[in-house]
Amino acid sequence: MSSGLQLAADAADKVPAPSIEYGKLSPMLIVFGIAVAGVLVEAFVPRKARYVTHLVVALGGMAAAFGAVLALIPGVKDSGGEIAAVGAVAVDGPTLFLQGTLLLLGIVSVLLMAERKLEPGGDAFAPQAAAAPGSAQEKEAAAAGLRQTEVYPLAMFALGGMLLFPAANDLLTLFVALEVMSLPLYLLCGLARRRRLLSQEAALKYFLLGAFSSAFFLFGVALLYGYSGSVRLDRIAVATGGAMDNDALLLIGLAMVAVGLLFKVGAVPFHSWTPDVYQGAPTPITGFMASATKVAAFGALLRFFYVALPGMKWDWRPMMTGVAIVTMVVGAVIAITQTDVKRMLAYSSIAHAGFILTGMIAANEAGASSTLFYLVAYGFVTLGAFAVVTLVRDAGGEATHLSRWAGLGRRSPLVAGVFAVFLLAFAGIPLTSGFSGKFAVFQAAADGGAGSLVIVGVLCSAIAAFFYVRVIVLMFFSEPRADGPTVVVPSVMTTAAIALGVTVTVVLGIVPQPVLDLADKAALFVH
Amino acid sequence: MNPANYLYLAALLFTVGAAGVLLRRNAIVVFMCVELMLNATNLAFVTFARMHGNYDGQVIAFFTMVVAAAEVVVGLSIIIAIFRSRRTASVDDANLMKW
Amino acid sequence: MNLYAPILALGGIAAAFGVVSLVAGALTGPKRYNRAKLEAYECGIEPTPQPAGGGRFPVKYYLTAMLFIIFDIEIVFLYPWAVYFDSLGIFGLVEMALFIATVFVAYAYLWRRGGLEWD
Repeated sequence: MSSGLQLAADAADKVPAPSIEYGKLSPMLIVFGIAVAGVLVEAFVPRKARYVTHLVVALGGMAAAFGAVLALIPGVKDSGGEIAAVGAVAVDGPTLFLQGTLLLLGIVSVLLMAERKLEPGGDAFAPQAAAAPGSAQEKEAAAAGLRQTEVYPLAMFALGGMLLFPAANDLLTLFVALEVMSLPLYLLCGLARRRRLLSQEAALKYFLLGAFSSAFFLFGVALLYGYSGSVRLDRIAVATGGAMDNDALLLIGLAMVAVGLLFKVGAVPFHSWTPDVYQGAPTPITGFMASATKVAAFGALLRFFYVALPGMKWDWRPMMTGVAIVTMVVGAVIAITQTDVKRMLAYSSIAHAGFILTGMIAANEAGASSTLFYLVAYGFVTLGAFAVVTLVRDAGGEATHLSRWAGLGRRSPLVAGVFAVFLLAFAGIPLTSGFSGKFAVFQAAADGGAGSLVIVGVLCSAIAAFFYVRVIVLMFFSEPRADGPTVVVPSVMTTAAIALGVTVTVVLGIVPQPVLDLADKAALFVH
Repeated sequence: MNPANYLYLAALLFTVGAAGVLLRRNAIVVFMCVELMLNATNLAFVTFARMHGNYDGQVIAFFTMVVAAAEVVVGLSIIIAIFRSRRTASVDDANLMKW
Repeated sequence: MNLYAPILALGGIAAAFGVVSLVAGALTGPKRYNRAKLEAYECGIEPTPQPAGGGRFPVKYYLTAMLFIIFDIEIVFLYPWAVYFDSLGIFGLVEMALFIATVFVAYAYLWRRGGLEWD
């Protein structure tokens, strides 16, 4: 031990001061800055003014961060991407593409969270999360008209972690980003105003399983560090190319890191939390998680496998192929049996994780670009679909049981029609973004030599299409129930979110080429 | 002493923690088992740092501790919220949602 | 692909072991269950203890434990910084000031929201 201290003292006068490229990190810094500002708002701004202040800070900050992403694009175009912050963060095409996507999804999510016209007592969140459900304290808080505003800083911290997640160029940054992204989400899951026991249970399940999986992730990082002597992705890549002196460390480390990442994307067999959490969480949060978390986690997965382990392609591909196949099959088959809209969308998101993995497994440039495109398409469809779920309500809050949706198309053709568009996009019907995305990933996989995967993917799409179409039939071709739910007219915020979702879905379905080109150009990882 | 022994100890502690997560019923104990897994990982990091002769592993151990502490805050608040509403911390009772 | 053969073989053996022991136990063993046998084995302690009287339990201790992170844990970053302070110079000072300012934001929040009041 004493020799270690001596070493530290010897090294102390040799370390050069590191440099941080603040400009290149500006999108993340802005989002973390507004998150911290949100905490200050909670502390010092009077209760009545908090809601508006939060909205201005969060939306303005995200718009500024999006501007920063746009400003960084020309530089990356010239240089092909750079590694910033002493090797911790890679600022390249995929990073900027995903950060831009995440920021747009974040803006839409905050609009959904801020909706206050749907719920008679306020918004989708418990007025006082610490009060036990049904207690006098809770009733008091509701009677006093308390509103939950801490969701905005929490969401901003989560979004900051998501921005860092696909940009992380070493495994430590990846781990810290994973936690910064996850910890606020665990809390947000438990904040629903209605059905609070379900919500708290979702938070507990998500938290315990998430902590378990991140422990696996971290042990994998330790093993990869032991193998290569560094946690930087490019150095691990160099080490895997050298002589194999201790394969076990590398292979077990790879598998354990993959477990952590696959948990976050909700791939089978690490999916068991997904339906429960998606059902229990407040619906705007579910939309945020289902879209943005998946985008960020797939970005990290892509970077980990494409930058750190390209030399190990023949070792990880069979494993990931197996995961992709069971993910698609389990997601599509179990979704058929669901009777709750949110759970059905959860299983559908599992199936989609399988489709996205199909693109990733191609392990070539088309694989990366098709995955990026799919993530954009999928993110907006998912957010839009969950936004529609918040509108269909009865006395008990959202009417999520599928039988309650019968005949909705007769009663509110517009809302049912919009939901049908999203379902068709999930199913991958032509002229929707889902078709363009699926076509791109399957083509990339076929070119990359994963033909069997494409066959399974197409079969699963057909199975999945069955239950999406079943919901559409239910909405339009069955008699409305007398005691059926009503469709509440939302404020301009939810309307804008849904309109944006429909627009992106249709535009990417009819003219996908500009975004496909953009994804093509953005698909080069910096090493 | 052979540094590999520390790695075996780290792997053992990690396995004990993982087994605890799967077997214990009390949410707080499950959570402590997760912390045990993280600490086992810390031991592995420090050992590898020693073997490689660089400091990355030691620095990572600091980060792990901080993340573990942050996780404690979030975890405790969720578990206590559940405890207050249900009067139990058993993970077997968190069964309102299935399939 | 042959890389996966040992893993698959091991998985097969593990699954077979589990299935064989459970089936053999169910077929051959006597079945005399009681409540204690159905509990998870946790070294003799009650798996999920209930608070005495089934109700009140103090939350303050947990709250204090949560606040601990601001006052204690962040300090670990100060040690390496202090060791390398001379070579990091102004850059290190500014970065550490930013870091501590961020921690103080959490402290301000805690103070304003009454987290420091014991009663």
